[in-house]
Amino acid sequence: MSTTREFTITREFAAPRELVFRAWTDPRHLTRWYGPRGCSTPLESISADVRPGGAWRATMILDATGQEFPTGGFYLEVRPPERLVFTWREPGGDAESVITVELADLGDGRTAMTFHQSGFTTQETWENVQDGWESALERLSEHLAGHTTEEGTGS
Amino acid sequence: MEKLDAVFAALADPTRRAILARLADGEATVTELAEPFAMSLPAVSKHLKVLERAGLISRGRNAQQRPCRLVAAPLADVAEWVLAYRRFWEESFDRLDEHLREMQEGGRA
Repeated sequence: MSTTREFTITREFAAPRELVFRAWTDPRHLTRWYGPRGCSTPLESISADVRPGGAWRATMILDATGQEFPTGGFYLEVRPPERLVFTWREPGGDAESVITVELADLGDGRTAMTFHQSGFTTQETWENVQDGWESALERLSEHLAGHTTEEGTGS
Repeated sequence: MEKLDAVFAALADPTRRAILARLADGEATVTELAEPFAMSLPAVSKHLKVLERAGLISRGRNAQQRPCRLVAAPLADVAEWVLAYRRFWEESFDRLDEHLREMQEGGRA
């Protein structure tokens, strides 16, 4: 392969990581920031079943033309408030990426975010993702088992 | 690789966005596109060149008319994947940063 379809962005936010994590997972937050400038993502277009295997979707609308760009995918790993991994169906296409968001507490109410996006270009990456799915499903079943034995209703 | 920058630069201008909005309804000639704007044909042609270079529109071969049409989803271009999506997220994160600041100021954290 000539180039790898992946990149990393790091950012620092003046907000505690619990809040940053919520901003990534709560539609009421996502509608305020998801998508480049010149786009809006209406609240009613967003849904997020935030658990391993759960689906999410969000449709961006290009303000200039009204053209719609549906995006969506599945959560692979959900570890509030530090790590979120999900698939991302690219706007305007069928290709998918895996996105990993890691949040580090810097103290003083500040958070460092490491964002990584990796597109599927080879059979190998597909297989990695499928492995990821298997472990996600294992975790899901462990999670469900834990809930049953603890008779938990969730926190 | 500069092409994606060209896309965003092209979209940053209100006249060019209006031209794209018009082309979303179907192809049009330069004269037709110039009509709603109080603008000379050369000025409109200049905007069209920017849009064409960004891959947002294509133009017919007929030398006289050269009707313009919208090109769908230039962001799907494989070669520009990284640039496109990096830009996508950088802009989103600028908005996220603003949103988080507003939340904090509103004391609703």
